[in-house]
Amino acid sequence: ESHIQYERVGADVTMKCGSMDWDAAVTWTANGTDINESRLNGSYLILKNVDLSQSGQYSCYEGSSWHLKYQTYLRVGTPPTEPVLMCRSNNYPKGFYCSWHLPTPTYIPNSFNISVIHGTKDMVCEKDAIPKNRCHIRYLQLFSTVKYKVTLTVTNALGKNFTTLTFDEFAIVKPDPPESVMAKPVPNNPRRLEVSWQNPSSWPDPESFPLKFFLRYRPLILDQWQHVELSDGTSHTITDAYAGKEYIIQVAAKDNDIGTWSDWSVAVHATPWTEEPKHLTTEAQITETTSASTSSFMAPPTTKICDKGAVVGS
Amino acid sequence: MAAADSPSAALRRRDLCSRGIRLAGKMRADVIDLLDAYVEQQGLDASASVAAVEGVPLAAVERWDEQTGTQRLLENLAAYRAFRALLAQMLEEQREQLGEADAGLGRALAAVLLQVSAFAYHLEELLRLESRGIPGEEEEEDGPPPPPRLSLFEQKLRGLGVLRELAQWALRSVRDLRQLAKPSPATGVAPGLVESP
Repeated sequence: ESHIQYERVGADVTMKCGSMDWDAAVTWTANGTDINESRLNGSYLILKNVDLSQSGQYSCYEGSSWHLKYQTYLRVGTPPTEPVLMCRSNNYPKGFYCSWHLPTPTYIPNSFNISVIHGTKDMVCEKDAIPKNRCHIRYLQLFSTVKYKVTLTVTNALGKNFTTLTFDEFAIVKPDPPESVMAKPVPNNPRRLEVSWQNPSSWPDPESFPLKFFLRYRPLILDQWQHVELSDGTSHTITDAYAGKEYIIQVAAKDNDIGTWSDWSVAVHATPWTEEPKHLTTEAQITETTSASTSSFMAPPTTKICDKGAVVGS
Repeated sequence: MAAADSPSAALRRRDLCSRGIRLAGKMRADVIDLLDAYVEQQGLDASASVAAVEGVPLAAVERWDEQTGTQRLLENLAAYRAFRALLAQMLEEQREQLGEADAGLGRALAAVLLQVSAFAYHLEELLRLESRGIPGEEEEEDGPPPPPRLSLFEQKLRGLGVLRELAQWALRSVRDLRQLAKPSPATGVAPGLVESP
């Protein structure tokens, strides 16, 4: 007889040797290693205050014939704590997804069940293959004042727990960050940077559901961000940049009317355009150039190797 | 509706749509402010769920993206006419219960009522532009049937339901009008009402 036995961390566990009498002579092994007789009470194996390391295969053999009389796989673990559940719509108005995790591991298999109710209607949450702890719900109705109620129940051999979220259709609308953020200097403008980006590709209908944007930028040498909110368009020219200083720039997005701001986009760096340095025509330099006139061309000491400004974008 | 949309009519529609979007956006902001004030002054719980109130048009809609432009406008118009009557009724009840004690709330209610009326007229203009028949004013003049005599608390709850749905409708109207203002892929001109899903 072989099966899996689940026990809580800290529990006291008694294992019988199958149908053998209490006073029968037996040998117990754990993962193939004999267990000291001090752990036995007659033919019963006693494990006190078990911990995770005691998970394993336990086998009991009849004393003389070494006949396997009992075998079990002990899984030591914990009942599930309250799961953490998050629901969000990053592709409004198509639908929303819910994802979940357990704040603490249980060390044994868990199963999750999610129910989504809108008013009196049960909605289907289509599970994603990957990641496993996530599923999608399609909005059947829009502009509803009725709240959604999502309940996630987690169960394992040692117990059960659940959590519930109730929310409005709009409260969970949070777009993905803007994509393809680019920043580049504006020739002949030492204080300008041109920033452009695209709507997140997951946002299905920017025309009917336009996004507004939040741009933040600062020179690397400072900690204080400057911000500007833009209600339409996907580009902006910074006009107050410090000349010659490298800038870090990020953009966030939000539905024009509802929901919350996205996370910040990937950061991009750019340095405003700077004047090409003039050649210094000093005496020393003239004599130096004439005496070396036969050698190959030497770059004047003041020329910058790299370009005036790098076009950077992710 | 004219077989092909004349550019001037399309531009006129687009202009009406964008003005309507701003009107609805402003109305929504004011309704949300009014809702907050109403909840507070009526001693209600902001998270209270209010069952669908008879006669209050629900903004919730299924397969919204499949609606034609005409459907959008007609449903919007019917809703705002109903809200016009409901808000007028709320205003009357407000005065009966509180007299001048709460003039602030009354003024805010009256201001929203004005915007609702203006928006209803705006929708009619859009329908006229499309030489669409406008549903008879007479049939809807008296609005929803007067509700049975409600208790004070029931009146307050109904008022909450009205304002909540109105806030949702204002948002839906913004989205509807943006759909209408969308240039059709082929001509790049805002499509006639029939085609625009």
